[in-house]
Amino acid sequence: MLTTSPYLHTRRPSPTAAEFTLSTLPLPLNLPRRVILLALNGIRVLFGLTILLLLYSKWLLSSYSRPFPSSDHFSPPPLFFSDGFIQKTIFIFLTTTPAQLSIRLADATPLWILLPATAAGLYFILLRIYTEESLLVLRGLGIQTSSSANTVLGSPVTRFIPTEKILDVLVNEAFLGFEVRYYLVVVVEDDAEVVVVFPKLLPRRKVVEEVWRGVRGCLREGKGYEREE
Amino acid sequence: MHPFSIVTLAIFVAGYGTARWDLVTRLYELAVFAWDKGVILRGVQGVSLLTLLFLVIFLPVQRLAQSESSLAPSRPSQRSDMPEHAGLMRVFWPTDIARSDLPGVIVGWRNSDLDVVVVAILHHVDPRSVENALKTGVLLRGAPHSVPRIFELCGQSSMHVLGVTNAAPDATVEPEPSWVRATTAPALRAPRIACSKASSVQTILFDRPIPHRMQYISLDPIALALANKEDSSLMSISDSSEADDEKQEREAKQKRRQLVAKLRQHGVVKPAPSMKDKALARIVNQINWAWELEHLLQKNVSLIGTRPKRTLSVSERVVEHATTMRDYVMHWVWDMIILYLFPVIRRAFILALVGHRVAAELLLMVLEWRLRPSSPALKDVSATAQQVEIRLQQFCYWPMQYVKLRLRKNDWESVTTSHPDYIRFYNSLWLVANDVIIGIALGSYIIDNAGWVAEQISLLLRQYTVEALHSSIEWLMGWPAGLKLNKELALFLGDLFLWVIEYWASCISTLHPLLPHIIWFIGFSSFAGASMPIALLSDLLSILTLHIYSFYLASARIFHWQLTILLSLFQLFRGKKYNVLRNRVDSCDYDLDQLLVGTILFTLLFFLLPTVVVFYLNFAIARMSIISLKAVFDTLLSCLNHFPLFALMLRVKDPRRLPGGIRFELRDTQDRLALDYPSSLPSPAQPPTSVIYLKPIPLTFTAMFHQYFQMGNRIRKHYLSPRVLFCLMTGRFVPPIHRKNLYSLQYSMLPATRSGIFEMWEALNSLPVKKRPVYVYPYSFHNLNLPNGNSRRANGRRGGGVY
Repeated sequence: MLTTSPYLHTRRPSPTAAEFTLSTLPLPLNLPRRVILLALNGIRVLFGLTILLLLYSKWLLSSYSRPFPSSDHFSPPPLFFSDGFIQKTIFIFLTTTPAQLSIRLADATPLWILLPATAAGLYFILLRIYTEESLLVLRGLGIQTSSSANTVLGSPVTRFIPTEKILDVLVNEAFLGFEVRYYLVVVVEDDAEVVVVFPKLLPRRKVVEEVWRGVRGCLREGKGYEREE
Repeated sequence: MHPFSIVTLAIFVAGYGTARWDLVTRLYELAVFAWDKGVILRGVQGVSLLTLLFLVIFLPVQRLAQSESSLAPSRPSQRSDMPEHAGLMRVFWPTDIARSDLPGVIVGWRNSDLDVVVVAILHHVDPRSVENALKTGVLLRGAPHSVPRIFELCGQSSMHVLGVTNAAPDATVEPEPSWVRATTAPALRAPRIACSKASSVQTILFDRPIPHRMQYISLDPIALALANKEDSSLMSISDSSEADDEKQEREAKQKRRQLVAKLRQHGVVKPAPSMKDKALARIVNQINWAWELEHLLQKNVSLIGTRPKRTLSVSERVVEHATTMRDYVMHWVWDMIILYLFPVIRRAFILALVGHRVAAELLLMVLEWRLRPSSPALKDVSATAQQVEIRLQQFCYWPMQYVKLRLRKNDWESVTTSHPDYIRFYNSLWLVANDVIIGIALGSYIIDNAGWVAEQISLLLRQYTVEALHSSIEWLMGWPAGLKLNKELALFLGDLFLWVIEYWASCISTLHPLLPHIIWFIGFSSFAGASMPIALLSDLLSILTLHIYSFYLASARIFHWQLTILLSLFQLFRGKKYNVLRNRVDSCDYDLDQLLVGTILFTLLFFLLPTVVVFYLNFAIARMSIISLKAVFDTLLSCLNHFPLFALMLRVKDPRRLPGGIRFELRDTQDRLALDYPSSLPSPAQPPTSVIYLKPIPLTFTAMFHQYFQMGNRIRKHYLSPRVLFCLMTGRFVPPIHRKNLYSLQYSMLPATRSGIFEMWEALNSLPVKKRPVYVYPYSFHNLNLPNGNSRRANGRRGGGVY
C-alpha cells in the first residue's frame, strides 16, 4: 500500500536532455495517502523519541549522572529562561507514567542488549520508504545515474560518465532467483565493471526498453534526433 | 563595347562579306533549300517535344529525389566527419555573475562554434571595442602573473565576445550569427538564451569555485595519498604466501578484464566523439579559472568604453587617508623587519634544517642497513625503528613540500595541481602536532607515576606470561576436562616447558628492578609523540613474550612432525606409498616385518597425538592472542600516523575544497519567478531549452578512509583465510604479516625515494625572497582605482589572509 511497483517518469525539456526517473512512490498523492504518510512519519518520530528516552533513563540510572535534586529544590519557581526551568521541566516529565515505564525498562535490560537494540531501532526508523532512481542523459556531456540512499539522512549517490568514455548502452538479461530480469547497462571504457542503471529497482523489460530508446535518441547526434524534427 | 571597336568590327565584316561573296550566296541558298524541304519545322518540333519531356518527367523526378534525400540523409555524408551540429547550443553560465537588466557584453571561451563558457559580462561597453581589446590584450593588462599560462591551462588561444545581454531590438550593432543573445534580470534565476544558429539550447549553470579559498572542481576525486609506487612495492615482497594471494587476485583481475574486453567486441560501431564531448576536461579548467579571470576583466573594463566615473568624495578621501596612515606605519615596521632581521633568521633556519637533514640521513642509513640484500633491515623487525624511520622521512619530505607550496604563490590561484599537496602537507603537520600533544600528556603521566606503572606492568607480566602459562601447563599435565591423556608424555612435555618457564621467570625477576627505568625512558620518549611509547610497548611486548613464541615454535614442530609421520604410516597401513618422483600415491608391496613395525608405530603415535595436540593448541592460542594484541598496537600507530584529520576538517568546513567529481541536475525550465516578470521583454523566440545545474560532489568518507579499508582487507586476507586455518591445523608456522605490507598505508604519504641533502639545499635556496615594494608614495592612489569605494574592502582582505 505504501509503495507501488516502480513506474517511469520522463522529463524532457529539450530534445538534448532527458531525465528518466523510476520511483516507487504511489501517485497521485491524494488525501488518504497523505494521511497515511503523515501518520507513519508521526509514528517514526514517536518511536525515535521513545528510544532516546530509554537511553536517557539508562544514563540517569548509571553512576555517571548527577543525582537529581528533590522536588522541594524548585520551591521558588525558576525563571523561564534559566537552567533551573529546564531542570524542573525534565523533573516533572520524569514523574509521568511513560517516563517511569521507560526507567523501569532501562533498569531491567542490561547495557549490552540495550545499546545494539536502540542502535538497530534508530537505523530502522531512519530507513527511507521509497526508492527513487534516475538516469540523466545530456547530449555532449554524458550519462548520470543516481540512486537514493538507504536512510533519510543520506544524499543520493550519483555517478557521472562522460560521453567520451561510454562505449555502449545496452539491455542485458540475467538470472535473479528463479526469474530472468532485463537490465540496462552502460559499458564504460577503462573500467573493470559495467555500470548497471537502476540497480536497486531493476524494472520490467518494457520500462527498460523505453528508457533504452530514450537514451539512444538523446545521447548522440544522429538519426533519432533528425526524425523528431 | 566601345563604339569605335563596333565600327571596326562592322568594317571587317563588310569587307570579309564582299571578299567572299560566293560564300554568302551559298549560305542563303542552303537556308532556302532547308525551308523548302521542312528541316526547320522538324527541328522546332523536336525541341518542343524534348521540352515537354523534361517538364513532365525529369523535373518531378528530380523534385522527388530531392525531397527524399532531405528526409533521409544519404549514408556516406553521415559517415564522413560530421560537422558540428547546428542544432545544439551549449552555454556554461555562472550563477553568481551579476544579474542586472542593463545591456552588456558577454565575454568568455568559445570551445567550438556552439559551445561556450561565459566568464564575465561587461557593462557600458561596445562589443566591437571589447573584441578589439581582447585581441590586443588590453583587458588582461595588469595581470599579477603570466598571461600565456591562462591560455595554456584553459586550452584556448584567446577569449572572445560570445554575445550580448539585454540588447535593445533596434541595436545598431549587427550581431554575428553565432552570438548569444541572453536576457537577464534580477528576478530571472537562469538567463534566457537564444542564438540564431541554434535550434535548441542547454544552459548549464554553475557556482564558480573561489580560487583564493582553494575551492575547485574536478572530474576525478582528489587523491589524498601519493599514488606513484603502489604496484612496485607490492610486487617486490618476497614472501611466498603473500605472492600466492597476490597472484590469485591478479588472475581474477585479469579474467575480469578479459570479460570486459569481450564485451567491448560486441559493441556496435562507436561514433567518433564530437568536439563537445572532448571539451569537458577543458571546460572544467575554464570553470576553475572563471572567478579570477572575471575579476581581472572587470578591473580592466574601465580602460575601454565610456564607463560612468565618479571621483572620491571628500569624506571618502578622509577615510582613505586614515586607512593608509595606519597602513603606512605598519608597512614601515614590516619593511625594517624584512630588510634586516628576516635574512638572518632565514639563513640560520636553512642551516639548521640542512644540519638536521644530515643527521636524519645518518640515522636512516643505520635503520635501513641490511646484512645481505635479502635479510631484513632493522626497520622491518622493530616497530620503534619503523616509527623513527617514518618520522625522519617526514622531516626530510616537509621542506621539499613547503618549497613546492611556496612556489604556488608565484602562480595564479586558479592552478589547482598543488591543492592535494597542500592538504597532505598540513595533514601530516597536524598529525605530528597532535601526536606530540597527546604524547606530552601521556609522557608526563607516565613519568609522574613511573613506579606505579612499572608495578602494574610487572604484575601483568607475571600474571599472564608466567603464572597463567604455568597453571595451564599443570592443568594439562593432570587430566584436563576429564580427557585421559598419555600421562608419561604429558609429564615429560609439561616438565620441559615448566623448566624453561622457571628460567624465564628468574630472568624477569632480575629485570624487575630495571623496569621503572625502562618505563621512565618510555615516558620520556613520548615527548616525541604518543606513537613512540606505543611502538616501544609493542616491541617490549614481543621481547617479553619471546618464551611463548619459542614454545609455540617447538610444540608446532613436534606436532607437525608427528602428523607427517602419521600420514606416511597411514599410507603404509593401506599398503601404499607416496612416490616422490611422480608426485602421487602408488601401491607398494611391503614385507611383513616392515608392515608390523609400521603398524605398531602408527598405533603408538596415534594414541600419543591428543597429548601433543593439547599442548600445541595451548601455545598456539597464546601466540594468536599476542599477535592480535600487536595488531591493536599497529592499528593505533596507523591512526596516529595517517588519520585524514585535515581532510575531515575540510569536509566539514568547506566541502568544495575536496572535490569528488561533478554531478548534474536537471531543473524545470519554467522559472516560477519569471512568470510574474513582464513578458513584454524584448526576448527573441525561445528555442527549446533545458536548464541544468552543475554541482561538485564532495569527497565521500569511504574514499577518505580508502587506505584504511585496504589495510583492513590485507590483514583479513592474511590472518582470516582458510590457508591460515590449514597451517594452524597441521602445525605449520603461521608467518606474521610482513611489516612493509602492513605499513604501506603509512608510506603512502611519502615519496618512494627521499630527495638528497644537496637537492634540499638547492630547493631551499631557490625560494624567492619575499618582495614587497618599499613604500615610496604613501599617499598616492595608484592602486586604488577601483570605483565606488571597493578599495577599502580590498585592503581589508589583504590584511586578513584567508589561509
